Amino acid sequence: MSTMLEAALNVRGLSSGYAGAVVVREVNLSIAPGEILAVLGKNGMGKSTLLKAVMGFLPKMSGSVSLGGSEVTRLSPHRVARLGVGYVAQEKALFQDMTVEENLRLAVRRPDFEAALAEVEASFPFLLQRLKQRAGTLSGGEQKMLLMARSLATGAKLLLVDEITEGLQPSVIDRLAGVIRSARERHGTTMLLVEQHLPFALAVADCWAVLDRGEVAETGMASEPDAGRRVLKHMSV
Amino acid sequence: MTEARRLSLILLVALAALVAVAVGPFLLDTYSVNVLTRSLLYAAVALTVDLLWGFLGILTFGQSVFFACGAYAAGLVFTHMDFSGSNALVALGLGVGGALLTAAIVGWLAFWHGASALYASVITLVLPIVATQLLYSGGTFTGSSSGLSGFTSFDLSVEAWFWLAGSFLVVVTTLAFVFVKSDAGRLLVAIRENEQRCKYLGLDTSRLKIVVYLVCAVVAALAGYLYAGYAMVVAPELASFVFGTELVIWTALGGRGTLLGPVFGALIVDYESAQLSGSYPFVWQLIIGVVFVLVIVAFPRGLLPVVFDIPRRLLGWLRPRAARAAVTLSTLDLAETQGVEPGNGPALAVSGVAKRFGSLTVLDAIDFEARAGELVSLVGPNGAGKTTLMRCIADGAERSAGAIVVNGYDIGRKPPEACVALGVGRKFQMANVFETLTVAECLQIARARHARPSLWRRARDLPLPKAAMHVIATTGLDRQLATPAHLLSHGMKQALELSMVLALEPRVLLLDEPTAGLTKTERMQIGSILIDLTRKQGLCVLLVEHDLDFVREISSRVIVLHQGRIVLDGSVEDVVASELVKQVYAGSGHAGIAHETASPDRGSAEAVSSAKREMPV
Repeated sequence: MSTMLEAALNVRGLSSGYAGAVVVREVNLSIAPGEILAVLGKNGMGKSTLLKAVMGFLPKMSGSVSLGGSEVTRLSPHRVARLGVGYVAQEKALFQDMTVEENLRLAVRRPDFEAALAEVEASFPFLLQRLKQRAGTLSGGEQKMLLMARSLATGAKLLLVDEITEGLQPSVIDRLAGVIRSARERHGTTMLLVEQHLPFALAVADCWAVLDRGEVAETGMASEPDAGRRVLKHMSV
Repeated sequence: MTEARRLSLILLVALAALVAVAVGPFLLDTYSVNVLTRSLLYAAVALTVDLLWGFLGILTFGQSVFFACGAYAAGLVFTHMDFSGSNALVALGLGVGGALLTAAIVGWLAFWHGASALYASVITLVLPIVATQLLYSGGTFTGSSSGLSGFTSFDLSVEAWFWLAGSFLVVVTTLAFVFVKSDAGRLLVAIRENEQRCKYLGLDTSRLKIVVYLVCAVVAALAGYLYAGYAMVVAPELASFVFGTELVIWTALGGRGTLLGPVFGALIVDYESAQLSGSYPFVWQLIIGVVFVLVIVAFPRGLLPVVFDIPRRLLGWLRPRAARAAVTLSTLDLAETQGVEPGNGPALAVSGVAKRFGSLTVLDAIDFEARAGELVSLVGPNGAGKTTLMRCIADGAERSAGAIVVNGYDIGRKPPEACVALGVGRKFQMANVFETLTVAECLQIARARHARPSLWRRARDLPLPKAAMHVIATTGLDRQLATPAHLLSHGMKQALELSMVLALEPRVLLLDEPTAGLTKTERMQIGSILIDLTRKQGLCVLLVEHDLDFVREISSRVIVLHQGRIVLDGSVEDVVASELVKQVYAGSGHAGIAHETASPDRGSAEAVSSAKREMPV
């Protein structure tokens, strides 16, 4: 994990949760610009809560969050989003009654929609044939692909992605790995991926962190030979 | 707190309220007693608005009509037939009967299968408009715009009317309170929260809503009947949209979903209106309007919750105790299970099923049979129609063509709750539970079809079928029984929904990615439970899954869907070996991923491939 001063995302001593229940405790994480961090861990260990707290959907009980050196700890979600942060939520993230195109247009705030469509072509081109289809009538897996394509098309500098591989067929997961890497090559997008799919996560990410009961239990580089074994140690108990 | 203590506490409060009603006339002046009698009756109607809106989620503007129904029944009978004991009973019967009939028609219109909540509200909005028009056009029979007055009624003193109205309110409120806190009352919240899930748990939600609507209509009609008896005047305003809306405002002011809030909201606002409207006839409406806006902005939950919060915050009184499961789970004896008996022939027969959205064909010519004891996996690319096929089997209204036979019964065009009765259980792709209810409550609602919930008690013990208990124990849900479902992690919600569906004791189990979001270990444990269900208990399971390793380990047969058609139906080996599957589904295999991670040293590639062996891919 990088300790650069101008980290794209810097989380210091963050605790958060829901009324009466602290789910994330004293988490420290930082991601350098253009780096991909995979946050792993069992279910209910606070991975999704961490993303929601960073975005500002949940109150921060302590700690701070900064983006590229600017403090965002107290900002509401729409302000965080305006600073170039894309959040790919685990559920209910699409406008179900709107078409694929309307979903893209709403999320893409930049002036040239053509460039956004080019991004979609680079990620999941089948969506271009479905622009007029209602998003709610796409299958579960197709909705996930639209969600990812939409986030990449927004040109966000930092993407927070919550279990994007869930419900995707194996060949699409392969493709997604390439899509994410290529987006990073071309735009230098920084990403935080919350994942259960270990092979995918280790294939895509530069570094990883395991959350256990809301705390960072272990971190490492994805290229280290024993990375898989070290992560699995936390997952199998 | 034990069940007996809880109920006696409620009873004690009710008795105290009755004492307050009894001494009221001795402490208040005659004018106030007079006005409050009306307010007490209005409060009973506001209570029905809260039941419908605060608990069942139906915003209704039409409760005034049922109040007027009772009132006009008395007014009409006493005017045109004179007052007598038997005529009083006739009027009561007409009032209640008329309200029931109207409510049945309106309820059927508003809550038929597929009608939205907004549609129901619009219907209740139209109702008072139609009713007042009818009263206006009734000529001398209804007294048109001036209503009916000057009829004789029960010869009771002002105090006696106060006692009568007060006792009526206390009794109705107590019954409503006991009901909403009971197991059956929780069903109302479940319907408001997630009606779709209720239907797929086999509950006829339309019927339940209509029943509650009928009861609320009767209560409002009784209040109206008492009102006419005491006021000896009835006017079309009683049925009006304005009165119907006032009831909604009182409910919102007091705090919807609290029962006592709307009761006090109605009492205070109506009483103060009468006191102050004399001195400030026009300003008063303005004051009420401003207060309403302020309360809605400052305290969206209404005033009652705020009143309770103040002592809680300041003194630590009434602090909600740490969440503790009020329910203990147990395993249902095999003898007590009530699942559908397995029929002869296949458990599931699908023939010629097609599904089209306009010109788009999602499923075409789907034919297959599945026997009891088979675990059939449905694999295929994203968008192949897997979930659509599940939906067609669980809801008769979904398919465009073809027939589906479950346990020997054709499902025809039956709604989901009727398909559940035939033995179908469906777990959705996205975890579909009751977000604001606790884990234990979700499970209780899942059992409601088998174990009819009590109208006044709360069960302390929840017997569940063995399979459901297995899933709960495996995933550790039993340690989170008192946790509201929205606080569960994604994977735990999946596990909760799976146990809810298993609690239905289905014969044909439809599972749409049941283990998504669960860890490898949990997946394998769920897998062995599914194997047990099929081999030992003879269930027929249809499973949508992307994890081919998981599919290989648990399936007895695999069906491959591609572009809405079955392209392969065979053994696990056939499918895994199939070139077609590799081509349309598995793509490049996982070489792509392994390749990309392969770094100069071989150790890294090994790490990933060892991870792959352990992890679902």
